[in-house]
Amino acid sequence: MPKCTINGKEIEVPQGTTVIEAFKMLGDDICHYCWHPGLSVAGVCRLCMVHIEGMPKLQIACNTEVRDGMVVTNQTDDVKDTVKWGLDFHLINHPLDCPICDQAGECGLQDQYMKFGKYDPEMAEPKVKKHKVVDLGPTVVLDSERCILCSRCVRFTEEVTETNELGIFNRGDRAEIGTVQGRPLDNNYSLNTVDICPVGALTSKDFRFRQRVWYLKDSESICPGCSTGCNVKVYFNEEGLWRVKPRYNAEVNGHWMCDEGRNTYKYVNAAHRLKKVKAGQSGDWSQEEVFPETMKLGEKFRAAAEKNPESIAVLVTGQYTNEEFKNFFEFVADELKVKNIFHWINNPEKFDDFDGLLLRGDKNPNTYGLKEEMKSRGGFKSLEDLQGKMSQFEWVLVLGPENQSQFPDLKEKVDLLSQAKSVIWLSACETPELDALRAPTHQIPMKTYIEKEGSFTNFKGLVQEFKRGTTVIEDALTLQEVVALLRGHELDYRNRPQPIGGTKKNHFTNVRGQL
Amino acid sequence: MSSLEVKLLSEHYDKPEFQGLEGYKKHGGYEVLVKALKMEPQKIIDEVKASGLRGRGGAGFPTGVKWGFLPNNDEPRYLLCNADEGEPGTFKDRVMMERAPHQLIEGMIISAFAVKSHKSYIYIRGEYDEPARILRKALDEAYEAGLLGKNILGSGFDHDMDLYRGAGAYICGEETGMISSLEGLKGQPKLKPPFPAIQGYLKKPTIVNNVETLAAVKYIIRDGADAYRKYGTEKSAGTKLFSISGNVVKPGTYEVPLGISLKDLIFDVCGGLKPGRKLKAVIPGGSSAPILTAEESLKVNMDYESLAQSGSMLGSGAVIVIDDSNDMVDLLDVTLHFYHHESCGQCTPCREGTGWISKITHSIKNGEGTTKDIDLIKNVAEHMMGKTICALSDAAAMPAISFVTKFRDEFEAYVNKGVERRGEDAHA
Amino acid sequence: MSFKVKREPVRSSWYLPGILVGLGFTFKKMLQNLFNQKKMVTLNYPEEKYQYGPRFKGNHVLTVKKDGSLRCTACMLCATNCPADCIRITASEHEDPSVEKFPISYEIDILRCVFCGFCEEACPVDAIRMGPEWQTAALNGSEFTYDIRHLAYRPQLKGGVPSVLDDQERHSAGI
Repeated sequence: MPKCTINGKEIEVPQGTTVIEAFKMLGDDICHYCWHPGLSVAGVCRLCMVHIEGMPKLQIACNTEVRDGMVVTNQTDDVKDTVKWGLDFHLINHPLDCPICDQAGECGLQDQYMKFGKYDPEMAEPKVKKHKVVDLGPTVVLDSERCILCSRCVRFTEEVTETNELGIFNRGDRAEIGTVQGRPLDNNYSLNTVDICPVGALTSKDFRFRQRVWYLKDSESICPGCSTGCNVKVYFNEEGLWRVKPRYNAEVNGHWMCDEGRNTYKYVNAAHRLKKVKAGQSGDWSQEEVFPETMKLGEKFRAAAEKNPESIAVLVTGQYTNEEFKNFFEFVADELKVKNIFHWINNPEKFDDFDGLLLRGDKNPNTYGLKEEMKSRGGFKSLEDLQGKMSQFEWVLVLGPENQSQFPDLKEKVDLLSQAKSVIWLSACETPELDALRAPTHQIPMKTYIEKEGSFTNFKGLVQEFKRGTTVIEDALTLQEVVALLRGHELDYRNRPQPIGGTKKNHFTNVRGQL
Repeated sequence: MSSLEVKLLSEHYDKPEFQGLEGYKKHGGYEVLVKALKMEPQKIIDEVKASGLRGRGGAGFPTGVKWGFLPNNDEPRYLLCNADEGEPGTFKDRVMMERAPHQLIEGMIISAFAVKSHKSYIYIRGEYDEPARILRKALDEAYEAGLLGKNILGSGFDHDMDLYRGAGAYICGEETGMISSLEGLKGQPKLKPPFPAIQGYLKKPTIVNNVETLAAVKYIIRDGADAYRKYGTEKSAGTKLFSISGNVVKPGTYEVPLGISLKDLIFDVCGGLKPGRKLKAVIPGGSSAPILTAEESLKVNMDYESLAQSGSMLGSGAVIVIDDSNDMVDLLDVTLHFYHHESCGQCTPCREGTGWISKITHSIKNGEGTTKDIDLIKNVAEHMMGKTICALSDAAAMPAISFVTKFRDEFEAYVNKGVERRGEDAHA
Repeated sequence: MSFKVKREPVRSSWYLPGILVGLGFTFKKMLQNLFNQKKMVTLNYPEEKYQYGPRFKGNHVLTVKKDGSLRCTACMLCATNCPADCIRITASEHEDPSVEKFPISYEIDILRCVFCGFCEEACPVDAIRMGPEWQTAALNGSEFTYDIRHLAYRPQLKGGVPSVLDDQERHSAGI
């Protein structure tokens, strides 16, 4: 364990730690672009210059290992001058089109310039012209002029995905990032290149121009896309959710997440959501108030269960939190003694798939937690038992998937459940597939992962808690609330979480035209 | 021929038959190899160390010391011959490869035997079409004669040698850039550490030496370190091939002992300047060496120490003589354009800086500059120095700084001319 | 604690003289204005209107480029800077890659606007200016939300106010 002194502070670091990592451990500011903790060292931006006692020249911190007794500082005038000039070199050919750049607000150049730069530019020559708005693939757009050639994205496709789509072409200040002809950047992790891009050179097609980042709030959450349970940050404002980005967790996802997981914000937005209880059947739906309707349902449901628990079937997906499952099974299995509990999994053939990096075939965030919860209750019944016996059930309660697009057999299940006498389907989203249910049905609006708190247990049994970020549909229920209402308990309206911003700021703007 | 010249490496340059194996053998070719193969490898390294031979490619690092950095184990290791002679003004290696290819091959086999390498490559510059053809032929001859391949001359030493043609990038003359290129990657220098002697070509210990260095090894082994030390000075031993170009009567490659005065080299060996011309400046070590003014150049000796003292460097020994018919702004513009074009684009200070100073110089030359721009060239160049992975950034910065400091009046004349012209335009 | 209220003594209980003096002044001015209109201090609004200085901060104008399209790049700095939160922009990708980003909708709620001029100051490309107009009458509440059609192409602007900043010129200058 070598000990070194950084800016006058002593620190003991593990063997093999680089100086820049030691800086990060201490929390000291150090300017850098090309270095990324999840990638190899390139040492090309030349900004992490430090003065090491006993060395004649300034050294880059990212390629220098800490040795015992090293005295390092980046506070000397020499270092500051070098960093200032280093930033200038980065900026002389940078187009400074921050107003139309999506990265503005979270841009490395802006941040570092405010911290280490602040000089008057002296470049008066014409800037180098490169390609703009280059289509790299289905997800990413490149602006070569903004690129500072830190090579993070290239190293990402080389080292993490090992797909090698990206490369640096040409040389000198004509160098540009690009793909080899006819081979787009289309791996399932492509959007990570956008995250690690310190400038606005790589932008996500999905997020491009849709919001300025300073209008967004973020909240830490867990990706519900598959059983890996990547740690994510969800960005939202009062208009809804806009994007999902990975959050570092060494045990689960490292620095990355897949592109599929980034789409999990879409179905959460109000346009796709169930807002009221939808009662009726195919072609004849009526909207009902959530609370009284669910309570009414609860009375009938409990009555049927007390009469004969065998007349009730429950179809569960692993899409709810541990706390919700606990609460639910205490009610259904322990209190009502329902035995017909079935586990609905998304395409069983691909259930155990794994792409080698993060993405798993099990598209439920909490299959592990669900199975744990059911262990003490005798496990699930086989789904085959359901075939042809549908009509013997008085009530079928479905804990439907949050993200229905992950369940390709949704239509099949709808057909199957159409034979039931009556169905309660808990669903976050409204889809035509669900509306095709031919049995008398109540679709109850549910909250999504960003609107509730709880914990998911990932594929290897790691329990990860997450907090509520925002509320999109105020009337939607969590599973605990559904259980409470089915039990016949009143819910306190006033204490329920409100959408952020409360009432819309410009409320009168929206209604004025109708006056 | 001037009395100052010596004939060691260039002894048989004038004999056309020296190019082929037959002719080469007639003049004592491969006899040294036979001698060397009977020696202990360590003995050869010690001999080279004792001779004080320093790298002839530019940096001037002691060759024997470099060989000593190799880890002492049985791991495969590589010997690379750097024949990517890209430095503007340098052509000494080309002459050797064209006229005495076997001299290089023999030197390489001896060196490879010394460092226990069984595979070596000659990385030759892409533009060297004729030398590559000649070398290829020489290699074939050597293989046929059993001088390369398995069990060389019955000594039990195996060695394979291959010729690799670059694609014409200046940066591939830098040793790690050359290794990247040889590995099939983009020719970009690699981060040091690890140094090539520890982890180089294919992540194996690698020694990279210049053509002239490797050829000189042959003569050190032939005559012994002491005989070699007779030439040159205490710290810069031996002879050196100088490529002299520019405004002299007899430009060309000359072999002289290190430590000869630059004045003698220009006025004696090369026959001086053209009549009526006055010496203005000399670039003593290839375009990346800081320029010397006429007064400075007449005082300096051509060895590593003397040139370093005068603020320049010996580099690859490419002496560019500039007389008063040349324009310094124009020269700097051309030089910086070259470095701008050849920067690999990896490190930001070099990628952006070379372009920047090149553009400023160009605008000064076009009469669009200001006095502030002259200072700016110097300022930018100073901040490019020593901030990058390889030395290309320094190579561009050093001439820029020295040109601007030493010939500031010429730059100012351009600026003033531009100001005048703009003033006239404004009036008209 | 108590204190006395000091009353002004009533000077006269007769109001008529005061009224007559006042009316006299009024009639004097009326006659003056009738026969010497040049000296009149008031304007005959709405027939006559006051000419404000060029820096007057009135209703907003969105400037246009040479080809008549909007100069605005939808950077949303005006909306960010607006203290009244009355600007609402929706950006989109332009089919011309040299334009890249442009607003598909730009709305100003003029009734919330406080005419502070921060939007004008924040704009990096001279896309929004505050013009000399200030009459904001309308028949319907919805007409107070100015859209692009009104902000850039209302009849008073006669086809749009050209912006001083041109992308083509900037690009050719290498900025």
